[in-house]
Amino acid sequence: MHKVFALLRKRPVVFILAGIALYLLSNHVDELRNFQGATAAVYIVAIASIVLLTGYSGQISLGHGAIMAVGGYAAVLSQKYWHFNLLLTFVAAVLAAAVFGAILGFAAARLSGPYLAGTTLALAVGLPSLADQFHILGGEQGLPYNVPQPPASLGADFTQYHWFFWITGSAALLMVWATQNILGSRYGRQWRAMRSNPTTAALAGIHVGRSKVLAFTLSSGIAGLAGALFVLTLNLVTPSAFPLSLSFTIVTGAVLAGVGSLRGSIIGAVVLVAIPELSDSLATKLGGAERVSANLPGLITAVLLILTVLFFPEGPLRRRVKKIK
Amino acid sequence: MIRLISTLLIGLSSGAIYALMALALVLVWRSTRVVNFAQAGQAILSTYIGYEVIVHVNNYWLALPIAALAGAVIGALVDAILIRRLSQSTGPSAGIRPVIATLGLLGLISSIVGLIWGNDLKRIPTPVGTHGYTFGHTTIPFSPYNLLIVASAAIVMLLFAIVFQRTNLGLALRASAFAPETARLAGVRVDRTRTIGWAFAGAAGAIAGVMITPQNALSPNSMDLLLVLGFVAAVIGGLDSLIGAGLGGIVLGLGLALILEYVSTSLAFPAAFIVLILVLLVRPQGLLGKLRSRDA
Amino acid sequence: MLGKQWRKRSLIASTTIAVGALVASALPAQAADPGISPTTIKLGITLPLTGAASPGYNKIPAAMQAYFNYINDNGGVNGRKVQLVVKDDSYVPTLAVAKTNDLILKDKVFATVGQLGTANNEAIASSVNLGRRGIPSLFINTGFSGFANSAKYPTTYPILASYVMEAKIMAQYIKENFAGKKVFLIYQDDDFGTDALAGFKAGGLTFDATNSVGYASGSQSAATGASWVGKAKAYGADVTIMFGVSSATGPALGAAYQLGFKTQWILGSVGGDATTLKAIGVPTAVMYGAIGLSSLPSPADATDPYVAQFQTINTKYNAGATFDNNVLVAMNTAMLTVEALRAAGANPTRAGLMAAIASKGSTWANAGLAPLNYGASSHVGFNGYWFGTYGPTGTMLPAGGKYVVYTTDSGAGAVVKSTYVRPAMPAKGLPNN
Repeated sequence: MHKVFALLRKRPVVFILAGIALYLLSNHVDELRNFQGATAAVYIVAIASIVLLTGYSGQISLGHGAIMAVGGYAAVLSQKYWHFNLLLTFVAAVLAAAVFGAILGFAAARLSGPYLAGTTLALAVGLPSLADQFHILGGEQGLPYNVPQPPASLGADFTQYHWFFWITGSAALLMVWATQNILGSRYGRQWRAMRSNPTTAALAGIHVGRSKVLAFTLSSGIAGLAGALFVLTLNLVTPSAFPLSLSFTIVTGAVLAGVGSLRGSIIGAVVLVAIPELSDSLATKLGGAERVSANLPGLITAVLLILTVLFFPEGPLRRRVKKIK
Repeated sequence: MIRLISTLLIGLSSGAIYALMALALVLVWRSTRVVNFAQAGQAILSTYIGYEVIVHVNNYWLALPIAALAGAVIGALVDAILIRRLSQSTGPSAGIRPVIATLGLLGLISSIVGLIWGNDLKRIPTPVGTHGYTFGHTTIPFSPYNLLIVASAAIVMLLFAIVFQRTNLGLALRASAFAPETARLAGVRVDRTRTIGWAFAGAAGAIAGVMITPQNALSPNSMDLLLVLGFVAAVIGGLDSLIGAGLGGIVLGLGLALILEYVSTSLAFPAAFIVLILVLLVRPQGLLGKLRSRDA
Repeated sequence: MLGKQWRKRSLIASTTIAVGALVASALPAQAADPGISPTTIKLGITLPLTGAASPGYNKIPAAMQAYFNYINDNGGVNGRKVQLVVKDDSYVPTLAVAKTNDLILKDKVFATVGQLGTANNEAIASSVNLGRRGIPSLFINTGFSGFANSAKYPTTYPILASYVMEAKIMAQYIKENFAGKKVFLIYQDDDFGTDALAGFKAGGLTFDATNSVGYASGSQSAATGASWVGKAKAYGADVTIMFGVSSATGPALGAAYQLGFKTQWILGSVGGDATTLKAIGVPTAVMYGAIGLSSLPSPADATDPYVAQFQTINTKYNAGATFDNNVLVAMNTAMLTVEALRAAGANPTRAGLMAAIASKGSTWANAGLAPLNYGASSHVGFNGYWFGTYGPTGTMLPAGGKYVVYTTDSGAGAVVKSTYVRPAMPAKGLPNN
């Protein structure tokens, strides 16, 4: 059974099956679930980028929200000024973000741990507000992102969010399949070697610096796609759509699911969508004074997060790591 | 000339606040190798406690040490309950798990503060005058209050630097962070020592909070931006050095003030990134950080 | 090994079940207009209750609910009780979209009311696409002029006078009272500010880098405030306009005090709420003499029948929360909402609600001293302001005790002194339209 799983892992078969399952699912749920599904798809791609960067190559980024912003703006601008169709805007987003990531990777290659965290944090805070500076980027009001309406052949009942789910879902599946292949390749192995022991890796002939930059570039490209999909669900790109909390949310989702596990990214994404929903419902049921209903969802989310981090160190898919006393 | 001096003075005062927050973050880093995002939460909670003191007794000078004490207690509790469990992490998420845990803690504390005190603005009155000093016809943007901030930051920093470098406790703190097993063998109670480090950090953060609040209102999230800037300041100064935290704060404060004054006021956020990247390009370990290799 | 596999599979299984439960728990769509039942009308609102942008605004929902409860205790709207579902969006557009989707698809509200924030309303309009779905978004809490475009936002009804109007009116007031003086402007560097600059220009006041400074939204602090004010002082401004949010006005006034900078302050409507400024720590001595503006009467003006009535409702239904401008605006919006619902008839529909606003909205009784301008193709709410001065205790009162209202449009129209007389308040503040 194990061998069958291993064989299926890299084959597109699993993804095709998943695609069909999601297609069927989307036809039977209401619009809200389709919207949440689209949001989850965005998160899956974003978390996948963190899995590659942090789980595999061991570099921390607290600024992937800013990289998503680069992708999002690239998608919108390429549509506005070059009249790209939807698919090409996605390509533009990936490329722009990857280039940005390469530059960032070069600058970051010499930085370790908290220094890298601090730099990416400053980036997350500083980059989106640049859009207010250059009015070609639309300012606070943002720029619209025109998503074509669903084709008439699908019927008048076919909702906009259903269509979003199809687009984001397919893009997410494709990207996760591609990422899986990258992670399973020799680059993936190089990153893991580099992460656990850079000295030995270097001795084994791995060019650590180049490997790090490659990881940043690829991770950013993936995040760029997440940014484009994100902007698609909003039909709009604006700097305040990429607050610092977005970067934190993505990293949180990655950790919740086990930062080294690509499969976990799916669980992480679902959890990121489910937790606010559940805590919102819970808060409404408990009701009470306004200060309660305002702060309760945040409280529940935070508690769940802390508990998960404490008791599921590598995410729910891995065995609990035994503590060495 | 006056413009330059004014700008530098503004930068000095705000830099002092960043320095205090950076100090708290570096204290935690040096004793536990954890970046503590919950520092803002601990500081805010301590500040609200100081606010309560002022509401009941109306004495700022009493509120300050009480808040610092509260900060120390909260810091110690956070370490004992949460961080100790995380210190034994291994695996690919070892570096990032404490970050997420402290982020979660920040959210937790902010929500609890909101539940207890509500989300509307509270204020703490300033203990000394806020009118700038006047020399003849010119008034500079530096008031007794700004002087208080700078002086407090300097005193706190020197105090902690002395403790870390000149006392046995300081030695134990540094040893517990850098080589816990060896420290244990040498008889150091590592866990307890680390808790003391967290207590110190909590006190520093509380002082930062009570110092900055009179000029900005108090609400559950009012210190979030300070956390980011404090972290950037800590990185600029080099996370290994307490004096570095102070230096980093001043550099960031001055850098921001100069960019805002001479380049553009709307560049406030990118400016922090610019100052940071300029420093790190030249010295990737921060201004006073030590360039030594350690495991990821 | 076996345990690990079992664990993995059980986790995948439970996740699948969880997703399945989420899916299955979604309710099927209803045929009639949602949010209307024989006994209730459900409305929704999204705004920042927590987070950096929340202070001041987070008092709005309780104040609105207080007015609605007052109405409910007095017969409701055509026999139905009004319910307000409140969602916190922490001022983040993606959350605003998600929460609005929750309101529409999960809570099934009839309409949204008072949604706050320029970028947030933009995102809601483009993603949730209220216009295409025919969902009314009443009396949104933003002054951005773009939302009055009824072709682009067919179901959105602003209520606040736009920032363009506000700036034009300020320019006129300055022309009348401070001709020839040096004027400096501090503004927020986003659409809030762009609207303002356009308005000032239309009013004859051009601002550039020499006599103005734009700050990045969110960057306001004591340090940045000092740098803006430093520039104003260096310019030698006789009049300084502060067109920003409260959390920026506070540091600006504080810095002025620190620098000993004496100027005539004109505070924009968004950042001029005295109670909020006092809470931030601006000494009333600094605010004393500053000029402010508003479309509604001063919240301290107990001689105004609307204010007095709202204060009574506030004491009884809002647990005696401090009655400030936020509470006044919130209750006034609630009153207009009730009037709109009444006008929609015994069996309200969304289309009917909007038709009622178009045909009769400008006639409804409310505290506004400037007229409402809703019409067949006009989604413009208030279009005017009166000017007042902050007194020693921080309350803003009109010069000579008399409200003189200026009105204009968001385009090139002139600024005129209005002769509008607002409708008398219905007895006990209970709408009778």
